[in-house]
Amino acid sequence: MPSVRRVFQVFSLVIFFLLFFFATYPLTRIPVDFFLRADPLLGISASLAARSFILKTIPAFVLLCMTFFLGRFFCGWICPFGTTIDGMDSVSNAKSRNDRFLRFRWIKFNVLIIVIVTSLLSVQLVGLVDPIPLFTRTVVTFMYPLFVLFTDGLFRFFMSFAFLEETAFRIHEGLRGVLLPIHITTFQNSIVVALIFLAILNLTYVHKRFWCRNLCPLGALLGLFSKMRMYRRLVTEECTQCGLCRKNCRMDAIEPDFKSTNNIECISCMDCQKICPVNAIQFGFVKKPETTKVNLSRRRFLASGATGLLSLGILKIGFSNPKKNGYVIRPPGSLEEDKFLDRCVRCGECIRVCSTAGAGLQYGGFESGFTGIWTPILLPETGYCEYNCTMCGQVCPTGAIHPLTLEQKKEIKIGTAHFEKTRCIPWYYGENCMVCEEHCPLPDKAIKFRESNTIAMDGKESSVLLPYVDETLCIGCGICVTRCPVEGDRGIFVTRANEERWTG
Amino acid sequence: MQRRDFLKKTAEIAAACSFLPKAPFLLGNTQPPDLVVTKDGSPSLLVRRALEELGGISRFIKRGDIVVIKPNMSWDRLPEQAATTNPEVVQEVVRLCIAAGAKKVKIFDNTLNEARRCYARSGIEKAAKDAGAEVFFVYDGNFKKVSFPEGELVKSWELYKDALEADKIINLPVAKHHSISGVSLGMKNFMGFLGGNRGQFHRQFDVKVTDLNTKVRANLIILDAYRVLLRNGPSGGNLADVELKKMVVAGTDPVAVDSFGATLFNLDPQRIGFLQIAQKRGLGETNLQKLTIRKLSLTS
Repeated sequence: MPSVRRVFQVFSLVIFFLLFFFATYPLTRIPVDFFLRADPLLGISASLAARSFILKTIPAFVLLCMTFFLGRFFCGWICPFGTTIDGMDSVSNAKSRNDRFLRFRWIKFNVLIIVIVTSLLSVQLVGLVDPIPLFTRTVVTFMYPLFVLFTDGLFRFFMSFAFLEETAFRIHEGLRGVLLPIHITTFQNSIVVALIFLAILNLTYVHKRFWCRNLCPLGALLGLFSKMRMYRRLVTEECTQCGLCRKNCRMDAIEPDFKSTNNIECISCMDCQKICPVNAIQFGFVKKPETTKVNLSRRRFLASGATGLLSLGILKIGFSNPKKNGYVIRPPGSLEEDKFLDRCVRCGECIRVCSTAGAGLQYGGFESGFTGIWTPILLPETGYCEYNCTMCGQVCPTGAIHPLTLEQKKEIKIGTAHFEKTRCIPWYYGENCMVCEEHCPLPDKAIKFRESNTIAMDGKESSVLLPYVDETLCIGCGICVTRCPVEGDRGIFVTRANEERWTG
Repeated sequence: MQRRDFLKKTAEIAAACSFLPKAPFLLGNTQPPDLVVTKDGSPSLLVRRALEELGGISRFIKRGDIVVIKPNMSWDRLPEQAATTNPEVVQEVVRLCIAAGAKKVKIFDNTLNEARRCYARSGIEKAAKDAGAEVFFVYDGNFKKVSFPEGELVKSWELYKDALEADKIINLPVAKHHSISGVSLGMKNFMGFLGGNRGQFHRQFDVKVTDLNTKVRANLIILDAYRVLLRNGPSGGNLADVELKKMVVAGTDPVAVDSFGATLFNLDPQRIGFLQIAQKRGLGETNLQKLTIRKLSLTS
């Protein structure tokens, strides 16, 4: 008989996945980035770095207020990552308590301090360690592609039987566009995301909810706001000091006296209430709540702050190779690069949604420096920016990509295409091609050609149409690169030359 | 009657008959023309009348046939932009096939922009489904590499399964300008059945598109020239490049249909590379003088 909490958790996870499935063409009014917008750590961090309050993150501040009164319920009832970890803990029969790791609890506060300090000084690291973007990235690059691989394989298996082919095809067709993609996309830098996720899940073998207790900066933030919670664990005089509650507490939040609760760690899972043999435990409101002290000495606090500043320094003096930088193409509507990096929480909603259109956006690596990891970049070799699409800006939770109207989007340049004349077929072989010009989506095409006399590969004189880019027209969408038939280095490439960022 | 009178009467009748138009019902002559061109009507009426003159849909579609209709819905464009086949033309052909007793009418295209957008914005998905067609997206796993026995440069290529297995294929291209081949009409339209690196297909395009048409044969070609894209094809986008011609060209000879289509752009079909090659290889006739072309204006 599943508990109310379990139902809530599953429901929340289902909503998370539903929002993921809804993040596709055609976008509706459903806010697919809702979990990210309701994440208080993202809200605070992004607003601090951007030096302005980001309106989209209002749900986050609502959640923060609720946490102040109700405690760290988000972790126990809503967080999709927490739910996954709970599931893993059940499967692995994890230990509730592991004394050797008691002191690891303070790490999460350090991570929180580092994230806040660096945000204040305009380096945005929150996306790397916050569970919601982390989980989103994992779903986009790992879980969903795995699901598609499995399901696709299953259908191919069924379709290989002649008598099942028709039915299987119809079901498959019905699922495509909704549950399954029209075209299967893979994502670069996905293996790291998968490994990190699996590593965190494997921490179950140390004790339950290792991430939540010891590493999660969002948990740390919500925990701090729970210090004076009114809704809390209450123990009556019936308590027989059996100790079952403390033994089974998944957050190790029950003190050795079995009556006191660490309200910073308690996520209101209510397992203790269920397990208490004399029903001495219940959860309720207290009029004058006692404050739980944070177990963080001043020395540790200063140490964290210093680490934050040091990391900042390391990142700021980091080398960014201009050779690579020139190829960093951001989604249309992106803010100026430093402002963009302030707000981008590396969730990948834009990348997810783009994979259902032109599939141009990918998770970046270190092209734009270390701080660029997992930010969206256009990779024209594997996909392009769909001309009639504005979805990326619509799903960005922090406004790093400003939502554009279709008219604005069609005019904004994200880069410029250039011909590589040693690879391009007409230039190199003296043979007509023009696939790039064919695909240029502009009504007045940015690729034009001049007729020229040439010597063809057979040695004979002939004429050929030599293409060139009209840089006043080209918007850098990249479809010319995607469709260029040349293998390896294509005959055309896109750089960020002439790019226009949203300056409001 | 005297023999002299009989002979005289016979000669008069024969002389009178030679001046009659080639209307089947008058002479009992059921030979349909090579091409039918209808003009100045609604898209569905243009298609309907053109097919009547060709002998009716039952000449091509038999009861129980699995028909694949290949419109051009490769681009994320509105019907007014003339980069895709007119949805009413597609709808009428679907309707006619189903009325003729086709078991299934399938419509699909390996699009060049994102598939859902192309299918929706062209209006073809809705129009075809409303008329009873099965419209589906291309699936990567359903391309089969097949040999092209008559291919000169293309010896084998990936073709879509449903196109290979169809009983009948109806080609429904839209008339467009194209920078390399000059025009994009019926012969090029079959590229929507291809998988693989289609960009490579564009090298020595004239030979390769002919190779394609030796492998994939249409039972019927209806060229949509209701709106014609005169410049910046094949994707277009600018309404100023579109001309409302209100025409439809129908026939069974792919080279003939394309040849007539070329004239709509003031191009000489005898000068168009792929048409010349196709004729030399016996796929059809480019010389319009050698063809019987019936032209009908639906307003007069």
